[in-house]
Amino acid sequence: METSSRRKFLVSALGMIGAAFAGVAAYPVFRYLSPPAMDKDKGRVSISRAQVGVGQAYFFQFQGHPAVVLQKTPGVFVAFSAICTHLGCIIKWLPEKEEFLCPCHAGRYATDGKVLGGPPPKPLPTIPVALSGDNLLVG
Amino acid sequence: MELGRKIADYIDARLGIRDILEQNLTKYLLPRNINVWYTLGAVLLTLFALQIGTGILLLVYYNPTVDEAFHSVQRIMNEVPFGWLIRTVHAVGANIIILALLLHMLSVLFMGSYKAPREFNWLAGFFLFLLSLGMCLTGYLLPWSQLSFWATTVATSSSQEIPLVGDLAIRFLRGGAMVGQPTLGRFFALHVIGFPLLFGLLVLAHLFCVRRVGISRPPFGPDWHPAEPPARFHHEEHRGGIPFFPHYVAKDAAIIAFFLALLLGVVFFAPGLFFPPTAFEPADPFVTPKGIKPEWYFLWAYQTLKIFPSEFLGLAVQGVAVTLLLLLPFLDRSPERRPAKRPFFVVAFLLGIALFIALSVWGHYS
Repeated sequence: METSSRRKFLVSALGMIGAAFAGVAAYPVFRYLSPPAMDKDKGRVSISRAQVGVGQAYFFQFQGHPAVVLQKTPGVFVAFSAICTHLGCIIKWLPEKEEFLCPCHAGRYATDGKVLGGPPPKPLPTIPVALSGDNLLVG
Repeated sequence: MELGRKIADYIDARLGIRDILEQNLTKYLLPRNINVWYTLGAVLLTLFALQIGTGILLLVYYNPTVDEAFHSVQRIMNEVPFGWLIRTVHAVGANIIILALLLHMLSVLFMGSYKAPREFNWLAGFFLFLLSLGMCLTGYLLPWSQLSFWATTVATSSSQEIPLVGDLAIRFLRGGAMVGQPTLGRFFALHVIGFPLLFGLLVLAHLFCVRRVGISRPPFGPDWHPAEPPARFHHEEHRGGIPFFPHYVAKDAAIIAFFLALLLGVVFFAPGLFFPPTAFEPADPFVTPKGIKPEWYFLWAYQTLKIFPSEFLGLAVQGVAVTLLLLLPFLDRSPERRPAKRPFFVVAFLLGIALFIALSVWGHYS
């Protein structure tokens, strides 16, 4: 009885020490593999206004994700996430139809990001755009 | 608890896992006079596992191109959380492994455990040692620092002295006339997949030999007598010995903890021990830094090449020494394993260690 309880205690103690060591070893590995935290201010993107013609779209990376800025009419800019809200494909701009199309499952979006047709469940998330001299500040 | 036992019973009824564990742990008996030097195999397995783990983690951020390699390593060291820890453990771990390998081989030599019927254990172990040196050499280039670049340039230059095929050998090693992207590409491939694959197979072969023939009994004590190796296969059993688990596993764990403490001691208190200043400068093929030296375990070879008037002669001497050691079980065929009864061998053994240390110290200060 005494031997059995001593063995139980030793096994439990070893188990706890082992778990503590495993935790100490696992934490650096978890931190090492964790993606870097996104700094919201640093995520602001500056784009030359000349790169976005009237009726044209310009694709760029915004906080690690594809995004698009569009000049709908002279001086009116809108920006969206370029990721289709259906299954994550990247939308493309159809200038002749003045709408966005997702080539994966034919989801269609208007120039304000709203769904025109197809399977997307919700509109494209918008991103704030501001004019700063000859540049557009997105984010 | 009850559910866990039921699942274990279900699996055991089909695969007989408990029987395998019993045969290899509690019923696997080791000699009663087994000593601490026998734990080095377990220490090495642990350290190799650590190298594989940290190596895989380093691959997540490392870029094997001459433009990116140095910066990717700097990013790991300075930007990625705990990257410095993973990289330093990997780099220092390689040195601790070589130390443990040398101690393991020295203990096998001293106790004559390489002798028949354990020649294959020795051969597999010796090739594991050579492969480890190969992994150290190929890994050394990957950070693409001044140290990496010029140490590899010097190391690969030696092969030029091989008669007839020297030029071909050096071009083949480097993938071109000079160390460059082709060298980095082939060293990277060898370091992360070629050598480790071969290494894993050799470890299996080594463990198979150890388990199949049985652990050798330390040649000490009044009741140890030399015996001629059996003509037919014989598994050396140790009736009345101590069980591998838990008795010897506890000793293994203690020595593993000692080596891990040594490793972490260097990582935390002397992280620059294996990183001279040239390891922090990006490789520049047009500027040779002063005093490029190989790692401590290659210093003996480096100094040997300098002693001899021709590099070929130095290489030949090294080749003969390595071949003699490799073939030792086939040359030293006496069944006597007690060090006290092998005075000639023990003197040669001690002189060999002294020569290794002397050449290394000389190489370091030359």
